[in-house]
Formats: sequence, C-alpha cells, structure tokens
Amino acid sequence: MTQSLASDITTGPNQGDFDYSQKRIDDASSQLQVPLKTIDLSVGFSHSTILNEISLSFPKGTITALVGPTGCGKSTFLRTLNRMNDHVRGFWHKGSVVLDDVNIYDKSVDPLVLRRNVGMVFQRPNPFPMSIKDNVVSGVKAHKLAKRKDLLAIAESQLKEVGLYDAIADRMDDSPFRLSGGQQQLLCLARALAVGPEVLLLDEPTASLDPVSTSSVESLISALVPKLTIVIVTHNLAQARRIAQHAAFFFNGELVEHGLAAQVLEDPEHETTAQFVTGRMG
Amino acid sequence: MFSKSHLLRRKILDKAMWALATFSLVCIVAPLAWLVWGVVGRALPHWNWSLLTTKPGGANGGGLSTLIVGTLVITAGVAVVAGIIGIGSGLYLSELCPEGKGKILRTASEVLSGVPAIVLGFLGYTVLVVEFKWGFSLGAALVVLSIMVVPYIAKATEVAILQVPTAFREAAEGLGMTRWQTLRRAVLKPAAPGIVTGLIIALAIAMGETAPLLYTAGASNNFPTSHITHSPVGFLTYAVWTDYNQPLAGSAELSATAAVLLLVIVLMLILLSRLVIRVSKKYSINNSHGGR
Amino acid sequence: MQATWVFDGRSSTTVSAPGDVLAPSRIDERDSGNGVGQFARNDRPMSILKKVFPKGDTLLVWFCKFLSYLPLLALLGIVGELFFQALPSIKVSGFGFFTTSDWKPGSSYANPISTSGVMHPPGAHFGIVPLIVGTISTSLIAIVIAVPVSIGAAIIIVEKLPAKLSGFLGLSLEVLAGVPSVVFGLWGVLVLGPFLSHHITPFISKHAPNVPVLNIFKGPTGAGEGLLTSGLVLSLMIIPIIASTCRELFRQVPVTAREGARALGMTDYEVVRKVDIPWVSSGIIGASVLGLGRALGETMAVAMISGSVTGTFPANIYSTMSTIAATIVSQLDSALTDSTNFFVSSLAEAGLVLLAMSLMANLFARFLVKRVSGTALPVGRGV
Repeated sequence: MTQSLASDITTGPNQGDFDYSQKRIDDASSQLQVPLKTIDLSVGFSHSTILNEISLSFPKGTITALVGPTGCGKSTFLRTLNRMNDHVRGFWHKGSVVLDDVNIYDKSVDPLVLRRNVGMVFQRPNPFPMSIKDNVVSGVKAHKLAKRKDLLAIAESQLKEVGLYDAIADRMDDSPFRLSGGQQQLLCLARALAVGPEVLLLDEPTASLDPVSTSSVESLISALVPKLTIVIVTHNLAQARRIAQHAAFFFNGELVEHGLAAQVLEDPEHETTAQFVTGRMG
Repeated sequence: MFSKSHLLRRKILDKAMWALATFSLVCIVAPLAWLVWGVVGRALPHWNWSLLTTKPGGANGGGLSTLIVGTLVITAGVAVVAGIIGIGSGLYLSELCPEGKGKILRTASEVLSGVPAIVLGFLGYTVLVVEFKWGFSLGAALVVLSIMVVPYIAKATEVAILQVPTAFREAAEGLGMTRWQTLRRAVLKPAAPGIVTGLIIALAIAMGETAPLLYTAGASNNFPTSHITHSPVGFLTYAVWTDYNQPLAGSAELSATAAVLLLVIVLMLILLSRLVIRVSKKYSINNSHGGR
Repeated sequence: MQATWVFDGRSSTTVSAPGDVLAPSRIDERDSGNGVGQFARNDRPMSILKKVFPKGDTLLVWFCKFLSYLPLLALLGIVGELFFQALPSIKVSGFGFFTTSDWKPGSSYANPISTSGVMHPPGAHFGIVPLIVGTISTSLIAIVIAVPVSIGAAIIIVEKLPAKLSGFLGLSLEVLAGVPSVVFGLWGVLVLGPFLSHHITPFISKHAPNVPVLNIFKGPTGAGEGLLTSGLVLSLMIIPIIASTCRELFRQVPVTAREGARALGMTDYEVVRKVDIPWVSSGIIGASVLGLGRALGETMAVAMISGSVTGTFPANIYSTMSTIAATIVSQLDSALTDSTNFFVSSLAEAGLVLLAMSLMANLFARFLVKRVSGTALPVGRGV
C-alpha cells in the first residue's frame, strides 16, 4: 500500500518516464552498479581548495558513510553531490559528478530536477513554517508530482513510512515546531522521501538528536536500502559501523581510503585512517 | 504528473518575481533621485552664496541666514534636552531597573513615538504657548520636539547597551568596581557609538520637522534671542512651507533653496552616523576576526 | 598573584566579545593602573559589597528613573489634555461629529450662541466623516503601494544583492527616511503632481473601464493636487520603515530552513514564498501596520499636496481632499480667530480621533511583532 503510492510518484530514471537530460546514456549494467560517482572532483571557494581530485563511487542500494575529522571537506563534498554549493559565492569545481552516466554539472542538467532525484537531509531539523501535512508534501506540490486531492494520502503514507504517523495522526494540521527534535527530523526525512529521490544525502542527520531519536532515525535509514542509495556524513564512528556498508575516509581535502565499511573502519590500510578510527585523532 | 512545461512555468515565474523585486528597488531609488533632482534643479539656478548670509524679507525675499541659525539652535537644544532624557531613560530601562519592571515604561515610550507630530504641535500651542503664556518661543519648540524624539533616543540607547556582552559587566564587577564605575567603563563606553548614532539620527528627524514647530516656535526673520520664552524663532522648514506658493519674486526659489539645505544637512548627519559606526568598528578588537 | 588575576580578567573579556562592540581592552588597562590593586585585595566576597552603593550611585539611579517616567507622563498628559480640550466640541456635536460631513466654523461676526452650555458662533457645524475618509483613503493607497515594494526590496537586498549594493540601498532607505516632510510636500506639489496630471492621469482616466471599483479612476483629473498624489508621496514616506523592518526580519530566517527548501528542488522564488515570507509573516504585517500608523498622522506633505478641501467627499482618485492632520495644521490659524474657542475645540476632537487611530495602529503592530519575533519594531522612522 505504502509502497505502491510511493512508486506512483517515484519517477526516477529506472521507471524511465522522465529523462532529466537528453545526454543520458542508457547503460543498464553500469547504473545498476553505481548510480552516483565522482571523477577527479576538485572543489573550492575563490582561491582556496577544499577537496582535491576525489574519485569515489556509491554502489546502488547501499549506505556509504563519509568520515573524517572536522574541516576535512566531507560536508562540502556531500553538498557538491546535489549542487547545493552553486549558491555559495566563489564556488568552483573541476572534474565531474556522474549521476546515471550524466555529469550533473553539465549545462543540460537542471539543478531543480537534480535535487528532486538527489534528496538531502541536514544536521538540524528544518521544518518549514506550515502545517505538518504541508511540510511533507511541500516538494510534491512544488514539482506538481501529484493531484491536489491525493496530497493528504501521500502525506499519510510518507509519515507511515518514517514511522511518525501514529504519533501525530490527529495533528496533521498543527505546526511542526511543537514536535520533538527527533520527530522533526523524521518529518524532514519524510519530506525528502516524498518527492521520490533516487539518492539521499544525509549531513550528520542525528548530530542534534538525543540517543532514542537517533536510534529511530538510524533504523529508518537502514530500512531505506536497498530501495535508495544513501550517502551519510557522520562524526559518530559507531553509527557508521552500525548502518553503513561502505565507508570513505577524508583527511585535509583528500580521499585517503575507501571500501567496505568493515574494512575501512575496523582494519584500515592507511596509518592516518587507523589513527582516526582508533580515536587517536580528531 | 511531472512535466517539462510545468518546470518551465516555475522557472519563468521565478524570473518574473525576481524581476519584480528588482523593479521595487527602482521604485525606491528612482523617486528619491527624482526628488533630489527636482528640488536641487529649482534651487541651483538661483544659487548665491549670499543667501546664507542675508536675512529673510525685503523686496527680493532676502536670504536664509536667521533661519539656518534658528534651525541649528533648535537642534542643539533638542540634542541637550532630548539627549539627556532619552539616554537617561534608555539607561534606566536597559540597565538599572529591576528585572521585568520596565515593560510599561518601555511600551509607553514606544507608543509615544506613534503620536502624530501635528497632535504634539497642536497641544504645544494650546498648552505651552497660550495656557502657560510662553508665547511663540524656543522653550515651547524644544519641549514639543523633545517629546517627539526622546522615544527614538531611548530605544537606540537601550539597544546599544543590550548589545554589550554580559561578560564585560561581569569582568568589571569581578574587578570590584562599583555599579556606577561598571556602568561608565564596561557598559556606556562600549555602547557609546550606538548611542551617538541614535542621537544623530534623532537630530536629523527633529531638524526636518515642521508640524510641531509651526505653532510653537512661531516665525521670525530675526536671529534667535537669548530668551527661552516670548521670543519666536525662525527655522528652515518654515521657509519651505510658507514660501513655495508665494507670488513674491524669489519666494519659490527661497523655498527650494531651504529644502536643498535641509537635504544636505540631513545627508551629512546620516553620513556622520555611519562614520561613527565605521570608526568605532575599526578600533574594535573584534575587527581582527574578520567580516560580519 | 594579583597581576595574574588582572590578566585573567582581561583575557576572558577579550575572548567572549562578539561583534559590533567597541574594544574593551582600554578599560582593563586603565583599571590595572589605578583601582584594581585595592579592589583585588577584597577578593571574592564582592557580591555583598556590590549591593552597597555609594550615595552618588543611588542619586543617578533615581534621576534616570525619573527621566524614564517622562514619556509615560507625556503620553498620559497628551491624551488627557486633548480630551479635556475636545470636551466642548463633544458636548455640542455629539455623535453628529462622526456622522455628518459639513465643516463650517460659523459666523465669527455674529453674537455667539449657547448649546448644552457651550458658547459657539452661530452656524458652526463640524462633521469629521470626509476627513476620516480622506485620512484612510490616502493611507490605504500608500500601504497598497508601499508593502509590496518594501517586501520585494527587502528580500532582494537580503538574498541576492552583493554587499556593496545592499549597503548603497540601505543608505538610500536611510536618506529617504530622513527627507523632511515639507520637502516631500514641495516635490509632490511642484514636480510629481504636475507631472502626473500632464502625462499620466489623463491617459488612465480615459482608458479606465467604467465598472464598479475601477471607475474611481475615471472622471476629471485636476491639476495634480489630491488623493492620488498624496497617496503616492505617503507611500514613499513609509517605505523606509516597512522595508528596513522587513530586511531585519528576513535576515532572521534561518539558513537551514531555506537550504531545506532548496534541497527539495524549489526555485528561489518558491523558497521565498514557502519559507521566508511565512516565517516572518506577522512581523511583515506588524511593520505594515506601523507604516499605516505613520501615514495616518503625516501632516505637512499631505497639507501641501491634498488641495486642502474640507467638507466634501472625493469624487474620484484624483479629487482634492484633506486629512485630519492636514486640516489641523492648515486651519489652526483661522481657528484662533474664533473668540468662543469652539473651532479649536473641534480641531482638538479631530486630533483625538487621529490620535486614537494612530495609537491603535501602533499598539497593534507592536503586539503582533513582539508575539512572534525577536526583532522589535523600529521607533521613529525606520532608520
């Protein structure tokens, strides 16, 4: 029930009913493996360089954790994946970010459509100043993904999917700011999921939450794979170990090491990574 | 559901709305430029430095000298009277009054700022000029104008003081200063640029007022006297208001010239207030932290 | 030992100082020169000593307390005195003051007659309805223009413009707020009014459709003095107060909320409509109502531009008219010739009505804004 409604409005490239770019190459095998990857991606602001030639792939239907000390560039990297840095003054990039065989920084790619396909959830819950129901369907409405009469049903099914519906079933028209921090973050997840993204970017989604809320957000994230491809930035190594299948370690704007989470986080090859994951640094 | 035409519509709407927002900037800047140009354009062809040194009156309208002096005297008086009351009451509301006590006083002050200027002028005339028998005078003008700008100065003082970090106070108290010493050195001093800025802007407002002055300061072609009462004072805005539609030769030009002088003085006061902020920031240690 | 303590005091001050405050460092340096040594000896139990002030302190506190009661006293005095002066008019005119539209001072040469124990010239009759209509209609025109312009300008200043340009626009708003009322009036009556009546209004009047509401744009366009010109100039006068408040409000909208909307694929306009404006909506309403209060009470500009016609209703949007404030300023002169003082009393009642309207707008605006936002509304003209 939930699934079918969700897939009604899910129009990712796999469904094939919308081409977000004419340049898309239909290569079934490659997109099944790696829907999102960066190739020699360098990023900076004005004269400074934040990230240096990062090449990283995000396997389909898995959770990839980006870890590293504060200021290593992992958040900037994440924001580059759905062009959230475009607005920042002085932003520049070299290399490419490839989503389904299309460079997302190509002229033919519309950032609005891209962000629909690559959703994002932030460090702090950021509900909009509108009712809970309107919050969930705000993206659906903006992109006109569903008819007006279906909006309530979509809101309900999305809230059920994130496990928030039972708690707020009778408060759909209330302000979201009265919810607890954890509930607000789940609401933001529901909002991001409602537009049917293919990839979900999470920027320390539990950093401002208490342990109980953290575990409910974590279990939700784990439940979203393999339907979605998830990239999560986290400061919490235990969290990365709990939920991620893949991991990448960033240090001073360089990608030091990446691979299976078990290997990178438990038995790293590089000395810096080892220092970090054993708590001798950062 | 999703369609390219809808996406295109959204983007066109986006561009259209930002174009409208840009147009609203034009709606602010263009009339301002038109106003300045319109007034200056009427005054400039007849500009003569002797206008600044000649008394008003006479066959060709005369000059503006006494009115300029009158405006300066009134403004200086307001700076003293409203300055003391405004800064004192702002200080009390922000720093000295018991926690949560100043609410009514603060609201009263804010509401007072909403009293129309003409109501103040009307009462200034009926009460001060007639009932108190002060006559048209500097005293009546000062009282009325001060009532007008005290709320502004008080608010500016309060805001400036509230922006001083508590840590300054704690440090000063920790050093064993008395309350007055703490106030003077750790509160008033860092807040001074904000207070001075508020005072300057308040003076710019007071200087440009007409309605409260017409029936309190009266009108005069002579220099202000040393009498606080029973001696009318001329002022620049009076010339703008009275002379613009007089049939006498030179009147309309005199009116426009007075308007230009007012604009110049107001602009200088605003720039002065900005200079105060800039200088105070320049010498602030916080400057080393960079922007913002 | 003592030296270390002083040093600690200074460093903590330095570290905890956020922006926009003058350097405190000199304070500490001076203290280390004179007082500190002797105070430092007292060491910790300072909090008890702090409560015992020298006499000068208390005097200062009492003086400041006295000063801060003055605005309240002035406010009460204004309301009370105005009501007291309006009493004769209230007695004679009664409800008629609010239901009739004649504005006649009566004959000052004939012998005064008495109504309800109040002497007044025969034929004197004052009805404020046209003045209220004039006051409200000019202010409405002003608000209808000023609010969208201010919101648009504020949002583009905050969201899109580079720092230099938004600094320039901030200065423009400040200058606009500082332009004296009479200078606006001078420009309105000599430049804007004639321009409109020569180049704009005849065209609008000719092509406006003759349907209800829009037919106020039809009919004779006059010489440029009147309702429309007054409303336009008033809108320019209240734009600074609304725009600068909106600018501060928009700066308070958290970046995180805006980014969330952007990350959903919303256009910049959609972000503004869905997040920024709802976030501060009651603040915007408050700022607008404050602007309205200012427009209601504006005197000199309207007195110069309105045409100062009392006792009739405006026939269309170009008609000459007058407002309460403009009437008081232009008629107080002649009211003084009425030996019974009845004319002055009627002006006082008109002033009372104006005061009530302005104060209600002012209080309502502040109530709205304080309820929802950390920004207090500006006092004064929004500079």
